[in-house]
Amino acid sequence: MTDTTIPPAAGRRTVLRAALAVGAANLAPPFILAARGEQPVLIGLANPLTGTYAAPGKNELAGCELAIAQINAKGGILGRPVELRVEDSTSGDAGTAVQKSRKLIERDHVDFLLGNINSALALAMAQVSNEKGVLHIVPGGHTDTITGAACHWNVFRVCKSTTMEANAAAQQLIEKAGKKWYYITPDYAFGHTLQAALEKAAAKLGGTKVGADLSPLGTTDFSSFLIKAQAANPDVIVFLTQGDDMVNALKQAVQFGLDKRLHLAGAQQELESLEGLPPEARIGAWVFEWYWKQPGVPHVAEFVEAIRKKTGKVPTARTWFGFVSTWTCALAAQAAKSLDAVKMAKALGGMKLPPEIGLVPDTAFYRTEDHQLIASVFVGNAQAGGADPEDLFNVARVARGIDVAGSVEEGGCKLVWPS
Amino acid sequence: MLQLILFNVFNGLIVGAFYALMALGLSLILNLSGVINFAHGGFLALGAYLAYSLMPFVGFWGALLLAPLATAALGLVVERLLIRPLYGRDPLYSLLLTFGLAYILEDAARFIWGAQSLPYPIPSWLTRPLSTQFFFLTGYRLFMVVLVALAVGALFFILSRTRLGMRIRAGTLDLETVSALGVNVRVLRNLNFGLGIYLAGLAGVLAAGMLGLQPTIGTSLIMPSFVAIIVGGLGSLPGTLLGGLLIGVASGLTTVFFPSASEAVIFAMMGLVLLVRPRGLLGEEGRLQ
Repeated sequence: MTDTTIPPAAGRRTVLRAALAVGAANLAPPFILAARGEQPVLIGLANPLTGTYAAPGKNELAGCELAIAQINAKGGILGRPVELRVEDSTSGDAGTAVQKSRKLIERDHVDFLLGNINSALALAMAQVSNEKGVLHIVPGGHTDTITGAACHWNVFRVCKSTTMEANAAAQQLIEKAGKKWYYITPDYAFGHTLQAALEKAAAKLGGTKVGADLSPLGTTDFSSFLIKAQAANPDVIVFLTQGDDMVNALKQAVQFGLDKRLHLAGAQQELESLEGLPPEARIGAWVFEWYWKQPGVPHVAEFVEAIRKKTGKVPTARTWFGFVSTWTCALAAQAAKSLDAVKMAKALGGMKLPPEIGLVPDTAFYRTEDHQLIASVFVGNAQAGGADPEDLFNVARVARGIDVAGSVEEGGCKLVWPS
Repeated sequence: MLQLILFNVFNGLIVGAFYALMALGLSLILNLSGVINFAHGGFLALGAYLAYSLMPFVGFWGALLLAPLATAALGLVVERLLIRPLYGRDPLYSLLLTFGLAYILEDAARFIWGAQSLPYPIPSWLTRPLSTQFFFLTGYRLFMVVLVALAVGALFFILSRTRLGMRIRAGTLDLETVSALGVNVRVLRNLNFGLGIYLAGLAGVLAAGMLGLQPTIGTSLIMPSFVAIIVGGLGSLPGTLLGGLLIGVASGLTTVFFPSASEAVIFAMMGLVLLVRPRGLLGEEGRLQ
């Protein structure tokens, strides 16, 4: 009869304690170990597997895994097999990302560090990797400063900087949507720099900002933001939110019928988000950083096939980020003929990616001065679904990376090498 | 400006009604069993995903009917197998259990249905805004408010007019005496838990139509419900309802003036209530403190 005894009341204090514990919960996510080999070269990935960015995180992981399999099939790195160590960084907790990065570097002694999707977490991880002198590839964190003011000799980035996305997107937004812009911007590093870059690019083309609101990361209800944006009477609401926030914001805007009164568009858009939207909300002008339909570009079809076989779906830009990042590790070691981080970083500066790894119309390369990968940007509009149900983006134009990259001086990167 | 504020008050009530629906289920369970059900968000997500899987077979309305019932059935099993052994212990035990369960449910959803968000189709006549002026009042949101009102009405009817409800209320006040009077407290708690989880499942199906499906949908919606309970007053269901509506409006109004604090404001409100009136707005003095 123990279960009928009166429990000590769960009081206000307990509820409060419990509420506090929610924050602490982010500290204990799972981790995955790859199979053990003999004296393998280790690549450590600390990236979101849970939370808002779990879906892009899993796609980046799939890209990494495909690259690992290919590298091993071609004899590994410097003749040694390659293994991937994966840690869940969470989607928004910089403390966890740092702790996981330290674990990978100090306990597992990884030779390369990869991550993070969340720009703020990527910046925090770069501090650690720089302190430890480990070659660090950022697959998918976009904020300018990673290869700008906060650049490091050991940090390379595969995805676009927010400036590159803004420059590629601004002209199309003015042409297709109009000059008065209202921004809905996620309140963290990525959103801040993307909005700043768009404002700068818009000003050059005669665009103006009629308003802007910062939405907390993980906002589910955007109705009050949309009410405010609509009241400012813009030509276009520019959505800079990402992941689930993008899905929630766009979906609600379309439910409110705002697409019939003004334009809904933005800069960075991803296949993951469009897949999460109902067909009627797959609208607007955007840029994609990589797209799986690239008629005539060599090796892209093989890559798409390989990923389809592995995951059952087409690769997204995220899959490509993971793929290129992992291959970059192998290319760096190969070029330097060493696993010494400084030698590899020197070798990567200016390196052009072979077409079977770059998988874009122009030749992708790492800019020597700031370690940013310069590659094509795909400008166009979302569509409900073409002949292929996974074809949710219509590419109107491919911008050359170097044309939208902005100068190194503007970015403000000054690499300091260890003496 | 005035219009913007009015719109946001109105809109806040819609959002708040939804918070209240989740919070009422939590509150029911907390009041009778002393269990702080952290897995409430997990059950909510499960309700949403079950509806998604049922929809091809039974349609939108069938899913709306069946998915919350299926979730409640699972709730009954969970209460019987996992939570019942922990009654009578420090509430932290059941708290830790439901806390872990929340993770298991979220990851189960991710494992079964994938990390990728999925669209949840709703009948097209519900998707349209009802007027161009009040564009935020779509058919679906009105439908949601009506359904919340019905659910809340039914809940209060059950609690005040039925034998089960009266026993739940009596048990909330003095479980020992209720037990001594020959009421099977085990069954009572079990049914009460199921009722609470039913509300979570219903909230999940409604949220899916509004937001689509993400494994994290429960986690992101659950915190405001806890705040609603504390603001409204522990132990008081009308208080919980009021708390939900209040934080909905507060969050909406904050967006007008200082959008980046639209989430933080509800916690500031909680802090304020705890400082000025620790039992909550409608909570009884001395109860659950």
